[in-house]
Amino acid sequence: MIEVKDITKKFGRKKVLNGVSFTANKGEITCLIGINGVGKTTILNAIMNLTPINSGEVLIDGEKIHKESYEKITFIPDAITMLPQMRIADAMQFMADFYQSWNQVRADELLSFFKLDPNDRISSLSKGNTAKVNMLLGLALDVDYLLMDEPFSGIDIFSREQIADVFTSHLVEDRGVVITTHEISDIEHLIDKAVILNDGVVLREFNAEDVRENEGKSIIDVMREVYQA
Amino acid sequence: MKNFLKLTNFELNRFSKIYITLIGLTLVMQTIGMILLSSSYMSDVEEQLAMGNSMEWITINLGTFSFSSLTRTFWFGGPIIIAIVTLLIYVFFIWYRDWFGKNTFIYRLLMIPTARINLFFAKASTIFLMVLGLISLQLVFILLENELLKILVSDAFREDQSLKQIIFNFDYMGVLYPNSIIQFFINYGIGFMAVFVTFTGILFERCYRLKGILFGILFAGVSLLIFISPILLQVTILNEFFYPIEIFILMAITGLVVISGSIWMSHYLLNKKIRV
Amino acid sequence: MNIKLNSRDPVYIQVIRYFKEQIATGILEPGQEIASRRELANKLKINPNTAQRAYKEMEEQGLIFTEGNLPSRITKDEVIIKHVREELILEAVNTFIASIQSINVSLEEAVELIKKNYHKNPNEQEGNQ
Repeated sequence: MIEVKDITKKFGRKKVLNGVSFTANKGEITCLIGINGVGKTTILNAIMNLTPINSGEVLIDGEKIHKESYEKITFIPDAITMLPQMRIADAMQFMADFYQSWNQVRADELLSFFKLDPNDRISSLSKGNTAKVNMLLGLALDVDYLLMDEPFSGIDIFSREQIADVFTSHLVEDRGVVITTHEISDIEHLIDKAVILNDGVVLREFNAEDVRENEGKSIIDVMREVYQA
Repeated sequence: MKNFLKLTNFELNRFSKIYITLIGLTLVMQTIGMILLSSSYMSDVEEQLAMGNSMEWITINLGTFSFSSLTRTFWFGGPIIIAIVTLLIYVFFIWYRDWFGKNTFIYRLLMIPTARINLFFAKASTIFLMVLGLISLQLVFILLENELLKILVSDAFREDQSLKQIIFNFDYMGVLYPNSIIQFFINYGIGFMAVFVTFTGILFERCYRLKGILFGILFAGVSLLIFISPILLQVTILNEFFYPIEIFILMAITGLVVISGSIWMSHYLLNKKIRV
Repeated sequence: MNIKLNSRDPVYIQVIRYFKEQIATGILEPGQEIASRRELANKLKINPNTAQRAYKEMEEQGLIFTEGNLPSRITKDEVIIKHVREELILEAVNTFIASIQSINVSLEEAVELIKKNYHKNPNEQEGNQ
């Protein structure tokens, strides 16, 4: 379980996160929803210790993040994190060199699933294919938790469909996934849990099926409700 | 340790194109310089011989040709200066390139399952290896160019120099190629210490951005003060109390203090304060 | 598979309903193997946990059964299948009655109209809104 406990974060005088708490379970897809600039990316960065927080803490299976944690949790940012001059094969080699959890069989499977050519240079890829390589590099790690920042934004519809397919496949099976989005409708039926953010606080954290069953509301209904309150 | 070596190898590869260019530029410019200078000298000599002047007269009036005739020109010193400037810029660029562009590689580096200080050590080692590599290659080049000189200029007009004489005759090469092993450790120790402190300064900037520049400069200032504190004490309150060897030992200690401080500070910044 | 999910009803209930329709119309035959929960999730683009829940629920209702590690199958129990069919018919009729009552249509008029229009749009008989 990933536990985010009351984290605050200031950029200069501006409070970006103002006491954010939520949990994300293994085997579930948790979605952080909020308009742009609400601090979703900052939360993911904070979980990965890629940015300092002013207070609060993040626990991964009860532990604070340390160097071995990166074999257990990985982050797929909204832009690719490899050098543009690298070929896809070089990028995979880099991962294999540094991560014990790198699973080459799965990487090869993903290559063919996404129809990517390992000899292509990253700088020469389309937006959609760049996003797919980015996904591949994270998904091919045998980690328990995957964080993804806006995996669907700014790419073509077919790439989007392919990436959505990943969520229902064995590639994320039994893992804990946290994704951020500002556009929920594409993935409404994919997620287990929604965490609605605004102004640096969690407005509501709920299980999507429970809300449909008990309140007869869609995720967007709940959003409308909490944003207008 | 394995990850440190892999990272160092990776960093070396990232700079290899520019590095090989620098090596090529050095060899080509120095060789061209040697050919141009010696052939212009030899044509002067032949002109004089044609005018019927004796060889003694020529060596006295035109002078003999030695390796120093090359080292004093831009053909020899130019590429060295270019290499030094490039490496100095790269001390900064080796960090900043990871934050540049949309493809921010720093995400990947910070998420490698290894102590983050290894990034610092890998980048520092890369700079050190590059510097030492260029220095030793330049020695090889001097020997090669000296052989070339023997082919291009006939014995009568050539003044052969040993490697030591060539270096000795060329002022700023004395810094790069010190006479004694102790001097070598002093020169390069100070150089590498400066690289460490600069790296820490860069990390301050990366953690605190604008404010960080101030912190970085402050850190460098304090480091300098600590390092030269034995000299400061010597000339102020202690009134020439220490022998030179004692000053040397004290400065070796303060130098180590500065390096440890820089590593400790960088470790802290990379783990607690860095941002992507 | 041809199913349009709405976003307000629980997805697992929509999935169960979809299966009931397939069973009632005979598209899924008694004893027929069905997709694994993973395949179903993938085809419907739904969360695998939800597919799992739908299957669990259907298992409890006796709509499907699983023997050992084999894939799940549609029930062979005629009573259950008959019951499913009746349930769906009754549900559709109730919906229909509710909507014609709301606009004050008499039973006779409704029956007359049903007789007249029943064969006109045979493709639109499926119960999804």
